[in-house]
Amino acid sequence: MARLGALLAGAILSARPLAAAQSPEGIEWFESRIRPVLVKNCLECHSAQSKKLGGKLRLDSAAGINAGGESGPVLLAGNPKESLLMQALRYEGGLEMPPKKRLPPQVVADFARWVEMGAPDPRTQVGPALAAVPATKPLWSLRRPQPPPSPQLKNPSWPRGRIDELALAVMEHRGLTPVADAPRAVLQRRLFYDLIGLGPQQPWTGSVESLVDHLLASPRFGERWGRLWLDVVRYAESNGNDGLSRNPSFPHAWRYRDYVIESFNADVPYDRFVMEQLAGDLLPAADAAQRDRQLVATGVLAFGAKPAKAMNDHFEMDVVADQMALVGSGIMGMSLGCARCHDHKADPISTRDYYALAGVFKSTQTMWGAAAHQGLTAPQTPLHVLAAAKVLPPRQEIESIIKAHPPRRTPAKPQFVYPPQAALAMGVREASRIEDCRINIDGDSKRLGAAVARALPASLGGFEAIPIPAGQSGRLQLALWLTDERHPLTARVMVNRVWQRLFGQGLVRSVNDFGHLGEPPTHPQLLDHLAVEFMRSGWSLKALIRRIVLSRTYQLEARGSDATWLAHHARRPLDAEQLRDSMLQVSGDLDLCWPQGSLIAQRDVLINELPSLHQPSAQRSVYLLMLRQSMPQSLSVFGLPDAAAVAGPREESVQAAQALYLFNHEFVLEQSRKLARLMQQRPEDPAGRVRWLFAEVLGRQPAADEQDQCLDFLTEAQAGLSSAQGSQGADAWAALCQVLLISSPWRYLD
Amino acid sequence: MLRSASCGMGYLALAQLMAQTTDALQTAPTLMQRPPRQRARASRVIFLNMAGGPAQVDTFEYKPQVGKKPHAGSVASFKQRGRSGLWVSDLLPNLARHADKLCVIHSMTADTSIHAQSMLQLHTGDRLRPCPSFGSWVAYGLGTENQNLPGFISFNTAKPSEYASMQLPSVFAGTPIGINGEDMSKATLAHVSGNPLPAHLRRRQLDLLQVINREHLRAGRQDDPQLEGVIQTLELGFRMQSVAPQLLDLRDESAATLERYRVGVNHSVGTCKGSDFGRQCLLARRFCEAGVRFIEITHGSWDQHTDHRRDLTANCATTDAPIAALLDDLEQRGLLEETLVIWGGEFGRPGLVPGQDKDQTGHQHRAFTFWLAGGGVKRGHVHGRTEVDGSTVVESPVHFRDLHATVLHALGLDHDNLAVVSGGRRIRLTGLQGGRVVSELFA
Repeated sequence: MARLGALLAGAILSARPLAAAQSPEGIEWFESRIRPVLVKNCLECHSAQSKKLGGKLRLDSAAGINAGGESGPVLLAGNPKESLLMQALRYEGGLEMPPKKRLPPQVVADFARWVEMGAPDPRTQVGPALAAVPATKPLWSLRRPQPPPSPQLKNPSWPRGRIDELALAVMEHRGLTPVADAPRAVLQRRLFYDLIGLGPQQPWTGSVESLVDHLLASPRFGERWGRLWLDVVRYAESNGNDGLSRNPSFPHAWRYRDYVIESFNADVPYDRFVMEQLAGDLLPAADAAQRDRQLVATGVLAFGAKPAKAMNDHFEMDVVADQMALVGSGIMGMSLGCARCHDHKADPISTRDYYALAGVFKSTQTMWGAAAHQGLTAPQTPLHVLAAAKVLPPRQEIESIIKAHPPRRTPAKPQFVYPPQAALAMGVREASRIEDCRINIDGDSKRLGAAVARALPASLGGFEAIPIPAGQSGRLQLALWLTDERHPLTARVMVNRVWQRLFGQGLVRSVNDFGHLGEPPTHPQLLDHLAVEFMRSGWSLKALIRRIVLSRTYQLEARGSDATWLAHHARRPLDAEQLRDSMLQVSGDLDLCWPQGSLIAQRDVLINELPSLHQPSAQRSVYLLMLRQSMPQSLSVFGLPDAAAVAGPREESVQAAQALYLFNHEFVLEQSRKLARLMQQRPEDPAGRVRWLFAEVLGRQPAADEQDQCLDFLTEAQAGLSSAQGSQGADAWAALCQVLLISSPWRYLD
Repeated sequence: MLRSASCGMGYLALAQLMAQTTDALQTAPTLMQRPPRQRARASRVIFLNMAGGPAQVDTFEYKPQVGKKPHAGSVASFKQRGRSGLWVSDLLPNLARHADKLCVIHSMTADTSIHAQSMLQLHTGDRLRPCPSFGSWVAYGLGTENQNLPGFISFNTAKPSEYASMQLPSVFAGTPIGINGEDMSKATLAHVSGNPLPAHLRRRQLDLLQVINREHLRAGRQDDPQLEGVIQTLELGFRMQSVAPQLLDLRDESAATLERYRVGVNHSVGTCKGSDFGRQCLLARRFCEAGVRFIEITHGSWDQHTDHRRDLTANCATTDAPIAALLDDLEQRGLLEETLVIWGGEFGRPGLVPGQDKDQTGHQHRAFTFWLAGGGVKRGHVHGRTEVDGSTVVESPVHFRDLHATVLHALGLDHDNLAVVSGGRRIRLTGLQGGRVVSELFA
């Protein structure tokens, strides 16, 4: 559709008065005045022989000039003023050609006359055709997922179901055999951490199925899996440094966080979930609560990191680019960003496709709110006013900090004032002006090419996209198109994210890029099977996770960190939230109450002008204050993404900064002290207490040597501390507990 | 002691990443020192990041009035200095002493005059998308000399995208010390202290921890390099706890040294905010001596939109003596030859017309100035030329890409091939277009 639109536009623009154009005088004019200039100044970069074709524009034939380039048509025959070619020669509108030196005014006037004559051009020699997109082999990910046939297996007794069959087929093909099933205790620990992000406190005595169902039904499930989605959508409660060192808060973003957690707990079908986030404001709602929920969902398009508005002509298109990256990399696994400046080098996304979709977001009003009332950062926008949601008062913990630090930069007058009882949400709605977007030449919004009709990138869907009616932005159509069961990417990308979370790496390792530059799937049939079943089960994430964790493949022993061929599971470090939350849990400190809003709720402030707003908290990590460039230290040191862009798998590298955190951070020291208090309340002798500690933290008894070493350390530390000066606050029992809480058997999941 | 190298980052569970590095760099992505693959003139870098866009025509590019018609140019007064006769502004009397050491590039150009984008491009080569930082590339290419410290340290830094390792393994990420105007006298590595145990018990505690970690490794997990990596990394972290605070503690410096560097002296005037730049310069010298590969220090106040003359004077006063002291010390200790010092910001500023009241300057990315010193560059040399009003380059333009290529070249790294493949894309500091080594800058 986009392509057709662009072609039509091109045809109309370059329709030329042929009779006049090819007159002998016209040809003579071309031969004497135009051709020599083209040869001397243009063809080096704009011909079939060019080493690198500039702007995909060829000026070595009439057909080339007519076809235009990456920036759209260059010639409006008979109309020099509107022709991009003339604007470029005149160094107007940003495009400056030839780039090194402007042509003399007389030559430019000759070109104007030539265009006026209808651009007569006798050159019919056509070089090799220039494809809009490099001809590469068709992209595997753009074929619709098909249910795979049953594979032929050498060992048909091993699989428990289709997932195992498809995994085993690849193993057998590669000459691998699966390792043993994981012991029950190991599997239980794996299931607890994978499904709810916390360790088991008591062994589960029922069947594995009953444990899985119990965990999936727990409200802790959404707190664990909602965070997966928050990584993808670069969730944060402040903008991050806008380039002018201003980092305004987003005091209503937390409502989206709660929306995500509730959606995962309620197992909202994934297609519906996507629909609500892209077009929740356009969907019908049965009641005020549902309407609120859908408005909050659209916040995802508003809390991206924005560069300052001041002196930035690109601001509007930067916001659009962020939204398109979310849809592209986040939902479709396709990086669209390249096409902002040039046709995608590898994937079927042209610059025209990009701006066709950009028109959808340009016709959408993004409602980020006040931006701390800093006009240089971003203009103030309205917010959604919710009908049924409760208003939460500002949090007392940080009021004193904010009061003690009045704004250094005077805030502008609020443009949008709401009654105090109004509950607000970030989000989007249709813009007051629905309009197509003009191509930004080289991504520069000051250098504009032709307008491209709003359309969806049909080349990625493989089925006819829904046309966008006049007067609508097209977000609804985009959402419908993405969640159409014929769409080849949406289901595949999400099941791969889930797989990645459960195995440490995806079946497609480049979870955000299913294009030519991404990696092909290691198990294409398994991926297809999961995608097809996912859609067949009504896009249920819980059903998908249940299916995977009940497979024998998931339940294998762990060996090493790489489980590419699935003959064993991967040993994985606990991630940032698992580590922090289970430290709280084992020290008896974890607070599982639903938190009230956010520390930054109701407060439009510049984060960079305030000292740290983070407060000690015993709540689950997902509820901590997520400020860009000031993320909670306990999490960022272990790989919490910085929310700058759509995130893939957490980085698992081992760093000295983590060691420093584990040795010295007050959070770890505090949990160690609390655990030590529990330990000292035990009635056993010191050896018995050490055994209790190992059972409690590591779920096993200490080896004889370990027990002796622990007791030796206790004795030595107690003696050392009673004689040492200046070790206030040190405690031998706490030091011993710290050892267990930062040990490898605790931090790694088999 | 400071240089006691041990195999710290030997195992980082990065086998996969190794497989992704290009053939050009067949070394493991660890901080272990690696020899450069071609002739190296310098072995480390100190980057003096002058954020905000310093006014080149009032510091290092003298633009006197030419002809009868007044035009934009220098409003500060200049003198020729040293044997080279290099022009240096009177606002920089101490740096002027070093004129014969400087290799000044008058013909820098960048793509945009938007602060954030140009700053990102200066640091990563790309102005729109997050990419590995300059310092990360250098640590990636060469490792670092001191295995008890990070390979890339960024003082008083503005935001993570300027020191992030992005597509490179995080072991190459810059370690921030002092973020965005934080009090530099208190700034340190995150979590470098806090445990109340006395030192000898901390060691005992670590020994016990390693007993349990080794037992865990021994019990059927010997095949797992990440667990060995944890054991090694805990040792490295433990050593950093003593090494880094020693380096940050200036009590062993003489009063005369602290005075030469103007440690603790801040001029807070208009846009010029104190950055304790003297302390940063002295710390740069100390970390340089300790064998850190890439050190960036920042003074971020050069964006003099209003009160140009007043604020420029304050910015120059803040940075002049400290940088001069740093150059003195590097030379006196024999470090200057192997240390490349880079001075510059994300762009420059247009000149004012002398004699007019106007005292406001904006941004100018088409022509501005950087200087290099040490590391085998020419001394007392000027490269490139701009129009009489300094507004555009007329000779030998040097883009950030070219600067990056040149600095990597000085370090013995091939800018074309120092790359990593990530997400199917080959990523390098000089980007798609590539850069040009400005060989004219080298002696």
